[in-house]
Amino acid sequence: MGQAPGDDSALLVQGVARGDRDALARLYDRFGTLVFTVSLHLLRARAEAEDLLQEVFLQVWRQASAYDPERGSPEAWLLTIARSRGIDKLRSMRRSDERIRPTEDVRPTPDVGVASGADPSEARVTVGGVLASLPDAQRRVLELAYFEGLTLSEIATRLGEPLGTVKTRMRTGLERMRGVLSSASGVARS
Amino acid sequence: MSHESWLELADVYALGTLDGDERRTFETHLATGCAGCGARIRETGETLMHLARTLPPVPAPPAVGERVLAAVSSERRPVGQPEAEATLESRPARARRARHLLWWGGWATALGAAGLLVVVGVSLTQTREELEWLRGRVAVLQDELTEREATLRFLSDPKVRYVSLGGLAASPAASGWLLWNPETRRGLLLTRGLPPAPADRAYELWAIAGSDPVPAGVFGVDQAGRALFRLPALPGGKAFDKFAVTQEPAGGVPKPSGPMHLLGTP
Repeated sequence: MGQAPGDDSALLVQGVARGDRDALARLYDRFGTLVFTVSLHLLRARAEAEDLLQEVFLQVWRQASAYDPERGSPEAWLLTIARSRGIDKLRSMRRSDERIRPTEDVRPTPDVGVASGADPSEARVTVGGVLASLPDAQRRVLELAYFEGLTLSEIATRLGEPLGTVKTRMRTGLERMRGVLSSASGVARS
Repeated sequence: MSHESWLELADVYALGTLDGDERRTFETHLATGCAGCGARIRETGETLMHLARTLPPVPAPPAVGERVLAAVSSERRPVGQPEAEATLESRPARARRARHLLWWGGWATALGAAGLLVVVGVSLTQTREELEWLRGRVAVLQDELTEREATLRFLSDPKVRYVSLGGLAASPAASGWLLWNPETRRGLLLTRGLPPAPADRAYELWAIAGSDPVPAGVFGVDQAGRALFRLPALPGGKAFDKFAVTQEPAGGVPKPSGPMHLLGTP
């Protein structure tokens, strides 16, 4: 965990917990874009993503005193809140009416896509960076989980694969990502 | 259940993808205060944060920030009474879980009378879990085999070009080789002598067409600065005239921002 910026952001969260609105504004300036980017990728509709962004920061205002730096960086905490609420929204949208799923897709096209994969919806959510380093099958499972908010069983149904297989691919993909991110953990595998 | 199995579930839980009975079972385990699982969820959360950072950023609308501040200005937060902590489970799901627990509680009492049935059931469940685990292992081994076969096919293609990468001021002793196939847009990178990156940084490869760098994957190095990294297929339509390696935030970035360590021309 990056100590300097993490500590600084943790101080901002502590400020919010004391009721400091300036600290909340600075937290928004620092992480609003990241939260909004993830919200937009998850929900695909700008209006819904803006609502989610607002809800996340209101929740931060109300829950800041429950934030424990020992359990992760403020950034990871904010993203957990955003994904948790976003996935809830997505699932209730799917449950209530499939038609509600918006057809507009306002997500920007990533600067680099991985050219493999015939499914255009797959290409749309594909990003560069560490995810691109994974074998296709593991990358696809993680994309469906992280960017589409699907559950294990939904992913298994979507891909027509056994649950255990999806789970193992997911874990192996995460392990490999951890390997790259922790660096110096051994020769990167081809 | 072995602790390794709990850690497996912790990964899936941190992604927000665990559902059904497994989610309930895991949350019951988590409620015992298991430090190992808590640490794993935290670690996976940080890894996923890097994933979020690889998305091209969309600026947060300032109007939403203003709405948030306006809302909190008119709100008196009850001091010392935070809302329930952020969790990947929704309130309705928690209520359902409570109902399920009661329901299962009744069944458990009934089954307690038929001890033998329980033993047979547990044994069957374990066998099913093992089978599921083995299936998963086979799938992952197949993935690895597919990757290795792809690497071999790649190496035997006569169209592959050899690009030598030289160390720059940031690491003059480093060097690298890129085997690059301009037709399939795939490549294999080998490096040595790159300094191990700090914990929150990693190396990123760039394929450059003129002055337009395209991200070509993130990789880590071992203590000797070595890496063997298979590039993802790069988008077509551009003739790359340079390849470079920079050090970037660990999840990778859409445009280079860190110091350049290696550079080479096909």
